[in-house]
Amino acid sequence: MSANNDSIQKTLLVAVLLCLVCSIIVAGAAVSLKPLQIANKEEDKRRNILVAAGLWQPGANTAELFEQISPRLVNLAEGRFANDDELAQIRAAGLNPEAYDQIKAAKLPALSQRLDSSTDIASIRRLEHFAEVFMVYEDDVLKTIVMPVHGYGLWSTLYGFIALENDLNTVAGFGFYAHAETPGLGGEVDNPNWKEKWIGKRLNNDSGELAIEVIKGEAPRDDAHRIDGLSGATLTARGVNNLVRFWVGDNAFGPFLANLKHGEI
Amino acid sequence: MSAIKTALTDPLFNKNPIALQILGICSALAVTTSLQVTLVMCIAVIAVVAFSNVGVSIIRNHIPNNIRIIVQMIIIASLVIVVDQILKAYAYETSKQLSVFVGLIITNCIVMGRAEAYAMKNGPVPSFFDGIGNGLGYSIVLIVVASIRELFGAGKLLGYEILPLVQDGGWYQTNGMLLLPPSAFFIIGLFIWALRSWKTDQVEAADFKIQPNTVNSGGH
Amino acid sequence: MLRALLDKLAPSFEKGGKYQKMYPLYEAVDTGLYSPPSVTNNTAHVRDGIDLKRIMITVWMCTFPAMFFGMYNIGLQANLALEAGTGTAIEDWRMVLIHLLGGSAHNAASIWDNIVFGAAYFLPVYAVTFIVGGFWEVLFATVRKHEVNEGFFVTSVLFALILPASIPLWQVALGITFGVVIGKEIFGGTGKNFLNPALTGRAFLFFAYPAEISGDSVWTAVDGFSGATALSNAYEGGVAQIEASGISWMDAFLGTIQGSMGETSTLAILLGGAVLLVMGIASWRIVLGVFLGMVATSLLFNGIGSDTNPLFALPWYWHLVLGGFAFGMIFMATDPVSASMTNTGKFIFGALIGLMVVMIRVVNPAFPEGMMLAILFANLFSPLIDHFVVQANIKRRIARVSQ
Repeated sequence: MSANNDSIQKTLLVAVLLCLVCSIIVAGAAVSLKPLQIANKEEDKRRNILVAAGLWQPGANTAELFEQISPRLVNLAEGRFANDDELAQIRAAGLNPEAYDQIKAAKLPALSQRLDSSTDIASIRRLEHFAEVFMVYEDDVLKTIVMPVHGYGLWSTLYGFIALENDLNTVAGFGFYAHAETPGLGGEVDNPNWKEKWIGKRLNNDSGELAIEVIKGEAPRDDAHRIDGLSGATLTARGVNNLVRFWVGDNAFGPFLANLKHGEI
Repeated sequence: MSAIKTALTDPLFNKNPIALQILGICSALAVTTSLQVTLVMCIAVIAVVAFSNVGVSIIRNHIPNNIRIIVQMIIIASLVIVVDQILKAYAYETSKQLSVFVGLIITNCIVMGRAEAYAMKNGPVPSFFDGIGNGLGYSIVLIVVASIRELFGAGKLLGYEILPLVQDGGWYQTNGMLLLPPSAFFIIGLFIWALRSWKTDQVEAADFKIQPNTVNSGGH
Repeated sequence: MLRALLDKLAPSFEKGGKYQKMYPLYEAVDTGLYSPPSVTNNTAHVRDGIDLKRIMITVWMCTFPAMFFGMYNIGLQANLALEAGTGTAIEDWRMVLIHLLGGSAHNAASIWDNIVFGAAYFLPVYAVTFIVGGFWEVLFATVRKHEVNEGFFVTSVLFALILPASIPLWQVALGITFGVVIGKEIFGGTGKNFLNPALTGRAFLFFAYPAEISGDSVWTAVDGFSGATALSNAYEGGVAQIEASGISWMDAFLGTIQGSMGETSTLAILLGGAVLLVMGIASWRIVLGVFLGMVATSLLFNGIGSDTNPLFALPWYWHLVLGGFAFGMIFMATDPVSASMTNTGKFIFGALIGLMVVMIRVVNPAFPEGMMLAILFANLFSPLIDHFVVQANIKRRIARVSQ
């Protein structure tokens, strides 16, 4: 029988049949499970946004909670919401503005630009033209705004959100949802106690200069702008400092926040 | 029946795929930082080994010898993709943490090893149990490693706090090394040490013996 | 009389005796006091007055300058911080001890105050190391029926000297446990370990409890004090920054800077090292290799230069006196078990350490100090280095014969 098995016809037959059966199984699984997977991914992202905005409750329905939040796309350079032309531009580049993938956008030449090393303090190399922000309204008044941030720490890019109160200056929430820093040192960015230290800090000082800063060692109590560094994780803390300052600064969300504050949009 | 029982229980301790055959180490390092992730990984591996064994066994008399490895590979790879898709659909959080390691079950030597060594020569039923048994053997080691790593590395088990941490006002200081992959090496090593002290027939014969170069002369 | 007592006790510890299991303990006491009864009986052997026990005792004594200076310096650093008000005294049992011994004035100018303070921190660490490590040694010796090895004398003192003063004692116990069991006994005990057990234990602590063994606040044993070490200053701004923080090269050479307990004083280490080198216990080839490797690599970095990384410009004579370089070079790299055995291999082994330590210090942002990791790295390579040296030698001889 083995001689028969090794004939060319049999070999080809087995190979073709096997490939056919396997591809049907794989394709069937992939297609039938796709909707669930997309829903999962969306839910995951929404939950992270809700956590940063301080709206998340364990066990609650994410979709329901998320109804309080309206996602908007922002033109970073101009500091205003993206207009219809720009939405069309995003579609033309192959992305869906309704479910905007900002990380992917940063990789597309049509939707991003290279940063030169002097502005790129967060070491992200490319900055997308459009960023997604999440506005929380209460009785039609802006209550919280959640902005995505990312940048390089010691070993990895940290991805997270920073939430601001309606004065657009006070931090309402901060946290990362993906990173690979050293457990116990840089990994302490996930420590709830440390994340709590951010709440209530102000981005800008009274004269409007960017003043928020992660310092080495402990910040004085009641300091309005400075946050304690992470013990033994100087470089991760410096990375966090840089990425926050970059994203709320003039090269990213700065113009948008300024315009929003003056009521120009 | 006893053949099935042997196929099922032998790989647990007597012929443990990790401890005796030292197979499948890579994923044991990568996925054992938390017990929950490990359990999902174990289920995935058990399912893949069992069903790939069945698949290979069913068509074993028709597999042309010169493409048999490729045939086994296709069956295993298809199963792994299916498992990966199911995890992404029903256990998204865990699958995010497992990331590439579900896909890497394809390269897990245990799966291929059992297909080649057992399923090619035995019927589907014993092959199925052999797969379950080897998957369980793999799981035992992983669960031991993960329990130690999560308990002492994060003070938790399955996400529930067991040892109150210093950071939260408790007394336990987490051992950061246990969260790094090399720690799994040490734990697996200690596990093998313990296992071989128990079942001494697993100890390999020494390659050479060092001669003593002094004798006790009795005097001083 | 003691001899007679030991001989009388001997039968009950030997095979078949009442305390047969305790034999290693008896043997350790016996041969610690008298020369061992066993003699070499096979093949050619060079006889020398120095045996393993004497070697180990000599190494142990050669750490004394570093140890005593270390104790003085722990006290000095802490008392300086207390005088300056940058930290508060930790009121625990150690402080009671310090008060009892008359060191309560915390006068940084008083040598006695400093030594007493340092002793209250160093000696408990050393005692815990010795007791816990010794426990494992005896346990393994008993189960495996071999003798307690004197190498542990050296391992324990070296391990204690490379820890920061403020380290919690339970971590000391865990660290030496890991060093002895995983670093040595697993591979069959002294002589078969390929890693330096003291460094293995420290590496364990470094990765397991990084907050207690790295950073700015662990080196000085007072509460609330935080001061960048010379190496982290160098990382921030090179030599200029070190000197701005009030540390001159001479300070670093003498050792009145922050650091692990026995590592700060290059002078004290070199004093002990000189004895080891003259007696031929520490291999001068390894020491020279480490030194030249370090000099060559730092000169290379000096030559390349960098606008963003000031460590590139750090000269070799600073590398020599900072961190654990000198201690590692004299006491750790020369560990005869984990280093290369062949003469050429020793040069290569040493040079590899010198290269790696500067590489880690300068280009790896995660680890400010690289001596521990460099030596462990080179330990892994030492059998390979020996292998190639021996193979090259064989090849050369064959070529000579076949001509």
